[in-house]
Amino acid sequence: MKILAIDTALGACSACVYESTTGQLLGFETLAMQRGHAEALPGLVGKIRDQLLPGLDQVERVAVTVGPGSFTGIRVGIAAARALGLALDVPVVGVSTLSAFAAPLLGDESRAAVAAAIDARHGAIYVMMISASGAMQVTPRLLKIDQAALQLPSGTLRICGSGAALLAAAARQRGLSCDMSGALDAPDISYVARLGALADPASAPPDPLYLKAPDVTPPGRAAAAS
Amino acid sequence: MLVLGIETTCDETAAAIVRSRPGGGGEILANEVMSQIALHASYGGVVPEIAARAHVEYLDHLIRRALKTADVRLTDLDGLAAAAGPGLIGGVLVGLTTGKMLSLASRKPLIAINHLEAHALTARLTDALEFPYLALLVSGGHSQLLAVRGVGDYLRLGSTVDDAAGEAFDKVAKLLGLGYPGGPMIERAAATGDPLRFALPRPMLGRPKADFSFSGLKTAVRLEVERAGPLTPAIVNDLAASFQAAMVDVMVDRTRVAMRAFREACGHPAALVLAGGVAANGAIRGAMLRLATETGVRPVFPPLALCTDNGAMIAWAGIERLRLGMVDDLSTPARQRWPLDQQGESIHHGKA
Repeated sequence: MKILAIDTALGACSACVYESTTGQLLGFETLAMQRGHAEALPGLVGKIRDQLLPGLDQVERVAVTVGPGSFTGIRVGIAAARALGLALDVPVVGVSTLSAFAAPLLGDESRAAVAAAIDARHGAIYVMMISASGAMQVTPRLLKIDQAALQLPSGTLRICGSGAALLAAAARQRGLSCDMSGALDAPDISYVARLGALADPASAPPDPLYLKAPDVTPPGRAAAAS
Repeated sequence: MLVLGIETTCDETAAAIVRSRPGGGGEILANEVMSQIALHASYGGVVPEIAARAHVEYLDHLIRRALKTADVRLTDLDGLAAAAGPGLIGGVLVGLTTGKMLSLASRKPLIAINHLEAHALTARLTDALEFPYLALLVSGGHSQLLAVRGVGDYLRLGSTVDDAAGEAFDKVAKLLGLGYPGGPMIERAAATGDPLRFALPRPMLGRPKADFSFSGLKTAVRLEVERAGPLTPAIVNDLAASFQAAMVDVMVDRTRVAMRAFREACGHPAALVLAGGVAANGAIRGAMLRLATETGVRPVFPPLALCTDNGAMIAWAGIERLRLGMVDDLSTPARQRWPLDQQGESIHHGKA
């Protein structure tokens, strides 16, 4: 199956086309950036369209990172993916950024537990942990860094993602040993495609995974304050 | 010519399909609008992050529904029009990105539309109006008087120096405890109120330039509310009526001044056009109708569903631009601010 994958949720704007039966990348574009994803993405996908012959029509599925990450970035990616799904008449699946960070570290020789962490600012991270046996130990959630550190397993731990340094520092304070490995700023887009190929469109819709409510003062409190 | 229009600049998610008629004007084949009023009501105004979240959730479903209603496939379209601003940037990005990707995958041109231009051109969709005409565009985000001289050719005769007209309605409704959106709430309360009970100011009245100012009027209402003590239904209704009467007087006076400026700059206007959500207010519509009759100008007030934000106006503006060969690059940015006339920019205190 040919999968077009898109990621604009974090520190890069990336897109690729991946053939899941051969494991081959048919098109690949990535640009590191903190802002400007919306302006860059059409150009990137356009390049990929031109790399593919006869074009995007052969794409059979679209995969997109749905967060956690930048709210705006999440929406740009999802809007783009849903529009492509509509135009190409193919299913669209959502992949969490935390899973995409963790995926390359799973199933290798080290057999270490893996934590994927994304900086959520204000002393918090979005985090997901997978034990050495491969079981989901902490599902994706928003936690204060010190609280996240309390849930870390003892034994060798590998930490990836844009919040890896924050979590690693807290882990070391607890006397745990950990390696920062894998992608840090943004997930490897080819893993977004691989996870997208494995996902079931019925259970992995391209819906945002913000993990954080909008930052608005509830009306009752606003009235009390004024 | 057949164009899909996407609108996501504020709190309405909308998609529509419009076909141009051979004799002028257009035919709306589908006009899907998902209002977010209920989502924002408890906050007394639009919350940008909540709006953006709703846009991305609903937009592609609305486009699918519009295509189905119109019985049109993407490949049948001549172009994809998306509002690129001005408006709340989070929402604009959702709509514009969607338009760009549909354009990229279908290899049909993208037309990036200025939301204000779409409001201003709606009268040509409904009434095949000729240029030039005078448009009063009043909504929750904008208050402008425009000389519409051609596609992409606008002269801003006046605009607000502080709040937008719709914003004033919302804020006053909040002061009176009437809820959101303020326009219909105030109109309902005003229906049984006494417009003469409270002497509220008419800001800018008689000024030679057709600008608006609403913040002083809102403050005057607030002071009356404070002076009145506990708000009884009678006080609320009378304040609503007095406020609405002041708004009507201001609209009429400012439009009259703009009419004079229009005649000097462009001759006789082909019509007086009303656009924007505030155009739904019956008292304002009535007063504008009287003004048009009195000044010998044809009134063209598009139906309410086309005055509030919608996708059909974006699709129509897309048709207007596309037939002049005005298409846009896929790197076109979303714009929070986007004045229709660049030269008028500096004098308007950053408000549109």
